[in-house]
Amino acid sequence: MEIRTSDRFPGVQWVGDPGDFIKVDEARCDGCANCVRVCLAECYEIRDKKARVKTLAECMECAACWYVCDKGAILFSWPPGGTGFRTDWG
Amino acid sequence: MAAVETCDVLVVGAGFGGPVAARRCAEAGLETIILERSRVPGEKVVSGLVIPFYGFTFGPDFIREGNPPIERPICRVVNRFVRGGEIYATDSTLRVPKPLALGYSAYCKPFCTWLADRAVEAGAELRTSTTAVEPILEKGAVKGVITDRGDEIRCRVLIDAGGTQNRLAIQAGLRRKYLPEALELYMLWDFEMAKEDVDQTFGLSMEFFHALPEEGIGAPLGYGSTLYIFTYRESIHPGLGQFLVTRGEIPNLAKLLPQYFENFQNKVTRWKRDIAPKVKLRATTWDVCPIYAGLIPETRNMPIFGDGILIIGDAAGFEASAFGDGVPSAWFSAELAAEVAVEAVRRGDSSPYVLREYEKKVREHPYITWIITDWRRWDLRKVLVSGDERELRRMIRDHWGVGAFRYRYSGRPLAKAVREALRRDPHAPLKWMEMFTRYFRNWEENRFDPLSVS
Repeated sequence: MEIRTSDRFPGVQWVGDPGDFIKVDEARCDGCANCVRVCLAECYEIRDKKARVKTLAECMECAACWYVCDKGAILFSWPPGGTGFRTDWG
Repeated sequence: MAAVETCDVLVVGAGFGGPVAARRCAEAGLETIILERSRVPGEKVVSGLVIPFYGFTFGPDFIREGNPPIERPICRVVNRFVRGGEIYATDSTLRVPKPLALGYSAYCKPFCTWLADRAVEAGAELRTSTTAVEPILEKGAVKGVITDRGDEIRCRVLIDAGGTQNRLAIQAGLRRKYLPEALELYMLWDFEMAKEDVDQTFGLSMEFFHALPEEGIGAPLGYGSTLYIFTYRESIHPGLGQFLVTRGEIPNLAKLLPQYFENFQNKVTRWKRDIAPKVKLRATTWDVCPIYAGLIPETRNMPIFGDGILIIGDAAGFEASAFGDGVPSAWFSAELAAEVAVEAVRRGDSSPYVLREYEKKVREHPYITWIITDWRRWDLRKVLVSGDERELRRMIRDHWGVGAFRYRYSGRPLAKAVREALRRDPHAPLKWMEMFTRYFRNWEENRFDPLSVS
């Protein structure tokens, strides 16, 4: 499987294609931007007063976005087995 | 075509708790499967990790009797009080003579791999790169899981060790996602540092840097983990964190956490003079942890068992509210859950009537309830109001200083756990001393049990 790294976050690898394991339900999103405020990987942006997943390329699967979304607009699931974030230094 | 298979006990998660539960079940002769979504156990676990001694002394025998890959014995906690970038006071009253240790630092991947190896050695089957997508529910009872490959794994008892973000118990209708007030987002930096430099700069210590909020090197007091440096064999692990809700609002943590650390690096002389010239950044990671889960009633009162399911470790909210670590409670709850699972399988009954014994055992455990309901970190909020540095130093002395061992704090669970251990085995103290001595020798000789995956 393909392994990616990031200049911003050394010592971490992202393995394979984890797919869209985090999604935004636009009908529920009120554009509060809580997800933007807690996401260290800058996965989100606000466009037309709605949160949108910009990229999951540097997501460490912490789910902070899911927890701060009191509208239930963030749909969080685990990436398929063996894909996504990994590190030797956690 | 999707497969359907059955086992006695299915453990979801090979972090710190899952393998302990799996080993116990396999030792009892149960057909046990562990599912782990990462390729290697522990490589998705992120923690600035010093595992306190009580996890080892009162936790699973096989850990105490084994040679797990520890990074450094921690014999002393050094509390630095910072103002204007300078240290104006130091409290290092919490210390023990070597080979005793207050805890052991460790990297998650090798340690979890070591634990999973012990489960496999006892007969459990470990399946890595497998995500449990949803529970199999029948008339409200959990009967197994469906994996990301669409396979059904059915079991008599499911032990849910899926960690903080685990969704199985939510999907089963037992629990809700944690309230953000209970959760800390913490960020960690791993720096390479030559062993002789770690020895010379820190010795067998870990350091905390406490300050009032205007210093800008950490979350407002009581709303996060003050900046700490955990010391490893040939590296150091600074970290800090802040709760997802601070003073009633969701702060801009994406900006604040890196900024606190940047301020620390730029302002604090101890870092600039003694540490920075000797280190090289190797990794930046973060995660979320349910540190106040036990302090918030809605979170604390969520079920930890259901029909066919037992929930352990971080998935059950067993996180240390004052010290911020979850490993001892994961170990303790894993052993209790395994005992109950073994009995349930033996009786052929995994209904709540039998599994509720787990909750009773958790409540009676000397450490778990105390660990999750310790208000010392939360109470630091008082200093935010008073702005009184002397009060801060007094409170830290009772938290990370010698006062931590007062009977009203760690003293009570320690005394109870020692009494219980002596009742079971009058030679327990000799075994503890043997462990401390062997662990220290292992560290000096850099020799640990080999791992199945390096």
